[in-house]
Amino acid sequence: MTRKSPNNRIERRKFLAGAAAGTVAAAVPLRFAHGQGQKLKVGVLLPRSGPQAQIGIDCQRGADCAPEVLKAKGYPEFEFVLGDTETKPEIARAQAEKMIGQGIHILVGCFDSGQTMAAAQVCEQKGIPFSVSIAAVPALTEQGYKTVFRNFPTGPMIAADSFNLQKALFQSTGKAPQTVVMLHVNDTFGMSQKDANVAGAPKFGMPYKFVDTIAYDPTARDLSAEVRKAKATNADMLWVISRLNDAILICQEMVKQRWEPMGILSSGPGWYDVPFMKALGKYGDDVVSTVPWHDPKKATSKALEAVFKKKFPDRELNTNHTYTFEGVMVAVDAFKRAGSTEPGKLIEALKKTDIKDNVVTGPGVKFNAKGQNADIKMSAIQNRGGKNLVIFPAEAAQAKPNWPMRPWGKRG
Amino acid sequence: MSDLTASGRAALIAFAALLLVLPWVVSSYVLSVAVICLYLAYVGQAWNLMLGFAGLLSIGHALFVGLGAYASGYLFAKYDVPPAIGIVAAVAIAMLMGAVIGYLGFRFAIGGVYFALLTIAFAEFVRILLEHAKFLGGTQGLFLPVSQESRRGVDLINLRGWPEMYYYVILALCLGAFVLCRALLESRVGYYWRAIRDNPEAAAAVGVDIFRFRMYAVVLSAGMTGAAGVFRAFYDNLLFPDQVLNIEKSIEITLAPIVGGVGTLFGPIFGAFVLTPLSELLTDVVEGLKDLGIIAKNVKTDGAKLLFWGLAVVLIVLFKPTGLWPWVCRRLGLVKAPGARS
Repeated sequence: MTRKSPNNRIERRKFLAGAAAGTVAAAVPLRFAHGQGQKLKVGVLLPRSGPQAQIGIDCQRGADCAPEVLKAKGYPEFEFVLGDTETKPEIARAQAEKMIGQGIHILVGCFDSGQTMAAAQVCEQKGIPFSVSIAAVPALTEQGYKTVFRNFPTGPMIAADSFNLQKALFQSTGKAPQTVVMLHVNDTFGMSQKDANVAGAPKFGMPYKFVDTIAYDPTARDLSAEVRKAKATNADMLWVISRLNDAILICQEMVKQRWEPMGILSSGPGWYDVPFMKALGKYGDDVVSTVPWHDPKKATSKALEAVFKKKFPDRELNTNHTYTFEGVMVAVDAFKRAGSTEPGKLIEALKKTDIKDNVVTGPGVKFNAKGQNADIKMSAIQNRGGKNLVIFPAEAAQAKPNWPMRPWGKRG
Repeated sequence: MSDLTASGRAALIAFAALLLVLPWVVSSYVLSVAVICLYLAYVGQAWNLMLGFAGLLSIGHALFVGLGAYASGYLFAKYDVPPAIGIVAAVAIAMLMGAVIGYLGFRFAIGGVYFALLTIAFAEFVRILLEHAKFLGGTQGLFLPVSQESRRGVDLINLRGWPEMYYYVILALCLGAFVLCRALLESRVGYYWRAIRDNPEAAAAVGVDIFRFRMYAVVLSAGMTGAAGVFRAFYDNLLFPDQVLNIEKSIEITLAPIVGGVGTLFGPIFGAFVLTPLSELLTDVVEGLKDLGIIAKNVKTDGAKLLFWGLAVVLIVLFKPTGLWPWVCRRLGLVKAPGARS
């Protein structure tokens, strides 16, 4: 069985565009060569349709800011080739093949672990470097891949950092909860997070014990019973693992039922999202979320935020934007240092990555032998007046924490 | 072959020849799309055996894919049992589950849409069960070990090798399913199935053991689909319960036969090879039109493919409810007489 060279590809998009326009001339096979003097082609593979479409489209906003931000920082110009996983691993695989056929030099993506794993297999087979922007499954960098470089915390890193941030919060305020009740969505994400956190708390010597964990359907229209049940535990702290709509429902119910625990801690999306803060107003304040976030004090973060605000004035910079941006930044940085689009040279450059002036929290971007950036840190952010302010780690903090949270009746 | 016209035979030979040489003439992207087509054709054929032949609607067929995938994947990942042996366990477990569903459904006279709901219920039940099965990775997924070396060559015992190998494996499965289904349809069992499908009361009245032959259909279909799960596991090398067993996957299995023609032998293959490449082509044409400036670059066209799938199914259900294949056969004169058996 013979193998086809990755350099010998027909550019199908141009071929089909020509066919659609009735021009046969466009159907000319093109050869792609990797080398010096070429513009870097960055493939951005995300779930742009299907159940994760909104997240994929959100991630793309971060990538859209990259050309302007990186150009201002002196990075070379590059172009994007976009791919859609349709929220399916098998399509992620096919799309990765397609994008490599379209001549991409490096792939960035994919948000979802399953889709990222599928694309990683193709990159490994083709020898194309893969800058993983968002995907937490540990196995990705445990498979011995030579072309995969992940600038996102793994699941265990996220869990460990979440506990460390909580400890910092409790120590700095002198207010530690003794009991915790957890409300969590009953989908894959919610169940895995719940299991990891409940099992991890004693290992990390947390001062509290879980008095109950209450699962619910993320599509539920009414969560009053679940909130009532959680309230009845009389726990000091509510820990939530939610999506957006259910986060709004839970918070509304807490206000209605006048349940005022010491604080609300979230370790998932929803509670820090702009629509949540808009829907809840002052009642959405003081919620603490532990998330992979950006360090707002870094120069590149400020530059990214400025460009982002210009392009998307109604939105706030979030994890999807910053990590996707940084995935592109890692790719372009490798290209700058390699001075070539040749995959082997890009991979060698990626191995030597050492970006200090990056965006996300932590000392910078540096990959270990497995291709994992092990230095990434999570952040604790708190909602304040429609903004997400970093409260921990101290070096990235924008504000001191409001903890315990203010009673519902004493807010503005 | 006997019911094909000369042009039908020529078309079949040309299609078979194209499938045989495909890996040598197309890019790896087209090859991966072809693998998806063949996979959908295969599982569509297995699903068609239940609805098309025996009149039993299943909307939970991803259950059998999942069971086959997890059984073989787990045996390989934990005990180094090669898929060549693991497939026996995978097919057996899928058949056993098929037997349980069939027994419950037919023993308690759960028919029509209620039987379909039963299949969904089992698929959801097993998905949730797998999400809580820590030894199978739970929600964190089950990853099959794969090394750089194992991505080269041809190792059919361990189902490891070039992407081209996977293509020929799924092609062989498709061919096997086609031959098996044709043989079954020509056999006494096939006639009984169609009798049960068309009028179960009449079939029972003439002495057909409805329970027994329906059980055959469910168990056989489940076993065939379980084998597809083995392929899926070793092609993807990762399994997440919500990505393998969700209802969307079950619906996906039904689309190719519905589009191609439920109850026909070639319908699932035709449906898979029409829907998937056409939707891929649509994406390329839209992007090409953007490149040419005919569509503005900033127009969001994400999801156009899914929209196309939805529209195609609606149009076919409305205007060609028996599927495209019987219509194409008639229009192109591929069969000697109109019928559902080509």
